[in-house]
Amino acid sequence: MSALRWISSPAVRFWRSARIGYTAACVWLRYKGPRWWDRALGRDPDARDLTRVHERNAEQIFETAVHLKGLLIKMCQVIGTRSDFFPPPYVKTLSKAQDQVPPRDFEQIRRVVEEDFGKPLDAVFSEFETTPVAAASLAQVHAAKLLDGQTVAVKVQYPDIDRIVRTDLTAMRRICRIYERFDPQPIELLPLLDEMQKHLELELDFRREVENADRIRGLFANDESVLIPAVHHELSTQRVIVMEFVSGIKVTDTDALQTAGIDARRVVNGLMSVYNRMILGFGFFQADPHPGNIFVQPGPRFVIMDFGLAKQLPKGFGMGLFELMFSMMTFNEAAMIRAFEELGFATKTGAEDTYVELARRMIGASDDGTFSGEFTEEMTDELFEAIRENPIVKVPTDFVLVARAFSLLSGIAHTLGHRANVLDSMGPGGANSRTESAFSS
Amino acid sequence: MATPSIQTPLPDEIASGAAPGQLEFTPQQLLANDPHEEPLIAGGVLCHGGFLDGDYVSPRCLFRTPAIQNWQRRLLDEGHALISLPTRYVPPHYPNYAQAKLLLQQGVVDPITRSLTLISIVEGFGARIRDVPLPDLRGEIVENIDGTALAHLDQGLLEAHARDEAGHRSEGGHKQMWEAARDLGLDKPEVPEDVLLQMMSGQRRSRPERAFPDLSERMEALISVMSNVMVIEIFAEDVFEWAKQLLGDPEVSADPAAGAAMVAHIQSDEKPHVQYLRTALSELRARTLRSEDGKREIPGQQVVDEIFKRQLRGMATQRPREQREQLRTEVRQSFEDEARATELARQFDSLDSGWVFPHRDDEPIEILLETA
Repeated sequence: MSALRWISSPAVRFWRSARIGYTAACVWLRYKGPRWWDRALGRDPDARDLTRVHERNAEQIFETAVHLKGLLIKMCQVIGTRSDFFPPPYVKTLSKAQDQVPPRDFEQIRRVVEEDFGKPLDAVFSEFETTPVAAASLAQVHAAKLLDGQTVAVKVQYPDIDRIVRTDLTAMRRICRIYERFDPQPIELLPLLDEMQKHLELELDFRREVENADRIRGLFANDESVLIPAVHHELSTQRVIVMEFVSGIKVTDTDALQTAGIDARRVVNGLMSVYNRMILGFGFFQADPHPGNIFVQPGPRFVIMDFGLAKQLPKGFGMGLFELMFSMMTFNEAAMIRAFEELGFATKTGAEDTYVELARRMIGASDDGTFSGEFTEEMTDELFEAIRENPIVKVPTDFVLVARAFSLLSGIAHTLGHRANVLDSMGPGGANSRTESAFSS
Repeated sequence: MATPSIQTPLPDEIASGAAPGQLEFTPQQLLANDPHEEPLIAGGVLCHGGFLDGDYVSPRCLFRTPAIQNWQRRLLDEGHALISLPTRYVPPHYPNYAQAKLLLQQGVVDPITRSLTLISIVEGFGARIRDVPLPDLRGEIVENIDGTALAHLDQGLLEAHARDEAGHRSEGGHKQMWEAARDLGLDKPEVPEDVLLQMMSGQRRSRPERAFPDLSERMEALISVMSNVMVIEIFAEDVFEWAKQLLGDPEVSADPAAGAAMVAHIQSDEKPHVQYLRTALSELRARTLRSEDGKREIPGQQVVDEIFKRQLRGMATQRPREQREQLRTEVRQSFEDEARATELARQFDSLDSGWVFPHRDDEPIEILLETA
């Protein structure tokens, strides 16, 4: 039986659903069991520290995902980015799914490429590395050579991934409904699933990723500090992207950067400038700046990869975010409230104090208790913790993605021994600080 | 004939809490406000400063203004000079008043909105001056600095400047006041989406080499920052005059009286900035600087003059050129109808004052010195 037919057979679909259901039941019971026990003993169940339970559940979900692959891996990646929704142990454990995905067998990959091109692999490529250079939730990337000798990177979607996604989504939706029926105060997971499904449908069509890459390449057309690998459009399909193979140093590889004579401070400044222009200037950005997606060449020149998660921000978002940062820097409460509302935040009660409290907690989590323009991981974690605790109804997804992007950039900057200050790197003079801006006149 | 210079004097008679000749001040004193009866509300936002007997009172001047005067007087009495720059080095605002009025009359509001919004944002970034890392002034300056503006930079002067520009807590500053002036004059125009991008696009300049590598990086950076900001603040005088004229013009302004008045308030607030910066730079100029390794002494005059001229040349040549090119492009793209846009560009260019910096790149430039 071929792998494709095997994976989509009713028995396998049942087995996947059962495994997902079992994991969901374990997770649910780990939360409910202690609560029942506490109530029976007359103790306050809300007083219990759930950190360990969160950790165990997150580990089990991660193991299940690594085993079943497909949507489950994607779900882990999504949860790993939603600090506003899930407790920190989930975010920490499940974000491992970003770079710990086991690759698929090469024969499956070959079949997809040959099906989509309608010809044998060697009719298009003179060489094709069977070991992938990277593997992700929906696809993996192989190095190859075209017949004219050009080295390319070939991103290939896993076979039948769309059917696996559908199967898993159906199973998860069913489990969510059962959970909502049993739990008197359910967490609203179905809207999250809807959002995930919407994004997945877009991500599964690689032509859209190509469009995103083309668009961002166009935005930086006159900027030599940014390199978006060129796509061979004639060799790209819904499931395969063939693009220029570009080498570079992984952005967090401090030793390699030093050996190449690339100044880490200029890397941080340059990278912040690139993302500032995308987020605050163009309003369209590659929303997944984790270190595996960014490489550096001398200059520094930034090679940005993977445009599956790219986001068009609404009109006025950049200015709204700038005003929020600015008001946080001066702690101008009235301006802060205006900025939160402009960005699309809304509270159940309409109480404006909630926004001030959010900002206060975020600023309080900074190194020195002030906001100078950097969104550190600690600050965004604290913000999302405050959001979970406060009666916020609507947190714009755009804000979550942008805050996460800046937090990832802050992590990169800290690895390189510097700070990722959004305001400094966008300021007049453009350098990393007022000090440098004076030097740069 | 004496070359005209930028003096921007502080008022002589000040209702002050400072004693005559007082040279030492606490941060609280340098941040203290003069009394006022009514607050300034700009565009519905509470701002700093206020009104006393109908006159605008700038913020944080109760001690700051007399303090600066006393430090300046001391410097002059000791036989040193206060630095300044000739008016002929100040580039006129581009577009000039006539060009800007033409654009507004033709319904081309975006370039003016963009320009005023950028001014407000840049003013807001003035808050970062409080984050400038100071060198060990007492260790790196040979002579004593007690009772000087230099010794008070981190004792209220930089903080007061930062608060004036960006606002502080519930009070807005110049950022909000420029936004209010824009909204008053142009009737709350829609802010073009590309404002932030434009601010960021001209920023990637290479980092110049150190002028005085023997000095500590912080010392050179401080002198560069103070020179840079002082030149910006002096150039801003022309921006104020342009904005008052344009936003105060009943033919193109939605609220000429209020628009021009708001700009005048900001202009009045900025005077202490120029004065404390020129005082601190002049004090450094009158002293001797120690190299980072402590082995060399370098006359402050040599260092300050070189860095100040470098900043001045960059600000007076490169930036106006970039701004000019940017705006001319915007005007040429202002209408979809190409013939109409070309005609507007022709009229716009015909009103150009045609200013150029009076020295070639290889010619020396001068700094003016004001003595007692």
